[in-house]
Amino acid sequence: MTADPGDAVDWRRPSPLLLRARRIQVGITAIPLAFIGGLAAQTVSAWLGIGIAIVVIVVAVATERFLARRVAAWGYAERHQDLMIRRGVLVRRQSVIPYGRMQFIDVTAGPIERSLGLATLRMHTAAAASDARIPGLHRDVAAALRDQLAALGEAQATGL
Amino acid sequence: MTSLTAGTWHRLHPLSPLVRAGRQFTAVVIVLFTIALANQRQERGDLIGDIVVVVVVLAGGVVSWLVTRWQVADGVLRIDTGLVRRDSRRFPLSQVQAIDVVQTGLARVLGLAELRLRVVGGDASRGARLACLSVADAKRVRQQLLTMAGTTAPAAAAPAAASLSDPGRDATVAVAARELFRVRPERLAVAVLLSPTGAVTAVTIAVIAAIAAAGLPGVASSLTAVALGAVLGTWRQFNSEYGTAVAAGPDGLQLRSGLVQTAAETIRPGRVQGVRLVEPLLWRAFGWCRVEVDVAGPSQRGENRTQARRLRALVPVGTRREAEDMITELLGARPVPSLRPPRRARWKAPLSYHFLGFGADDRYVVAARGRICRQTTWVPLEKVQSVRWVQGPLQRRLTLTSVHLDVAGRRVSASIEDRDAAEAADLFGRLPDLARAARARSA
Repeated sequence: MTADPGDAVDWRRPSPLLLRARRIQVGITAIPLAFIGGLAAQTVSAWLGIGIAIVVIVVAVATERFLARRVAAWGYAERHQDLMIRRGVLVRRQSVIPYGRMQFIDVTAGPIERSLGLATLRMHTAAAASDARIPGLHRDVAAALRDQLAALGEAQATGL
Repeated sequence: MTSLTAGTWHRLHPLSPLVRAGRQFTAVVIVLFTIALANQRQERGDLIGDIVVVVVVLAGGVVSWLVTRWQVADGVLRIDTGLVRRDSRRFPLSQVQAIDVVQTGLARVLGLAELRLRVVGGDASRGARLACLSVADAKRVRQQLLTMAGTTAPAAAAPAAASLSDPGRDATVAVAARELFRVRPERLAVAVLLSPTGAVTAVTIAVIAAIAAAGLPGVASSLTAVALGAVLGTWRQFNSEYGTAVAAGPDGLQLRSGLVQTAAETIRPGRVQGVRLVEPLLWRAFGWCRVEVDVAGPSQRGENRTQARRLRALVPVGTRREAEDMITELLGARPVPSLRPPRRARWKAPLSYHFLGFGADDRYVVAARGRICRQTTWVPLEKVQSVRWVQGPLQRRLTLTSVHLDVAGRRVSASIEDRDAAEAADLFGRLPDLARAARARSA
């Protein structure tokens, strides 16, 4: 049993489509890699080529098993004065970012995210170490959250 | 002589191309020197080639001097430059925050100085730069520009702008300043040699000397470049910290330092984001330590990346007592890192367990870490930007957790490492509220 300050928090989660986005990402790296690696190695011996392709595929499948847990680990909670974000399976992290400290908020979407209607929300504070982001939000949710955070940030803004 | 009648065009000092090309010029001279040493039977053609490079660099500088001119008219400083692509920049004097007089090494020899104007709300690249004027001119022009700018910060320049420093001002208020610290040159020399940079340099030179002694001068000479780099790094640290003097003035701490290139800066009390006490292994034998501060605000123009990443050293090297006095001056009453982590943290941090600890009151949080280089960081709660709770796999086994408090700027954070998980959860729950309370108090 570990004392986890997040236990009492009512977490909201990214869209379930995030898992699919992550799977596609693994797929489009692993399959060409297996193919090219296999082709390159088969110039030495056909079995080596098949072996390498299989290893790459096995690693990809193992990553895929892990993905579900990683995606499930993401969560955020809008509290009264600050935003709380958690992530990570092996190294677990939780951050608290006061609304007043947010300098600007980005919504970005890569090609895979865009095709699934997802977006990543990124919050910037004056500290480089803060690194607060929420991936895999539905596009409308991300936009609404961005506007809401911006309004809260403006209301509670403080100087450096 | 330069006088600022409205609308007259002025030129920079005729020797300025030499100063502006100074850096490249020195580099070329060093390269020439090394080549000449390494290869005594050098072809004459190569040497001519090198001289051509120097001439071209200088000629470029002269052309740029010829086409650069500046004027002040209607409260606007205008700088025109460029031969092929004309570039005309205007700086409304009402937006000027501070005007610095900066002298690089070569400029000091030639009696020249550079004027740098810092402009409201911009990053440093948007500031104006007049390089170079003669020292007397620079001072007078600065005074006149400041008078035209109305000296006080305009209302539009509110909080962010008010945090910009005005190094040049310390000349006028030097009388009122109370000196807090002055570094002892011989101690700084020893300390720099014993610092990590210095130690690496010493080892490098020793290795090269050993190789040369072992009868492999060829290998040794090819390593000379490495040694040269290390020596330069050490020298740069010594150069920038030589003569560091801190005085308490009416608007903050006045920091002056530098041997060849001098710099002056005013640190306002409200700008300090974090204070760090550093005690490297070799210094602890002498009871020496170092006090650095992290200051918010844009990095100055002309700072290279390493300088920008380094924190300002208020006490480059001093006794424990001097350091304590300086920290008291900065923070006043403060907590000490007296709360130790649980014993089982030894398994996770076998070396640094020795110094780990933290402390907190309603204004500051302090955290200590590091075994070889012990670092104690104080962070004002009102400056905290975000709070992070981190638990790695090994920590989870031992039911330990770390909590980090991030402040603005160059990656300074107070890391409360390896606390008991329940205690960390409690801290993580309370720190954001404590920070909010501190912010509300200071506002």
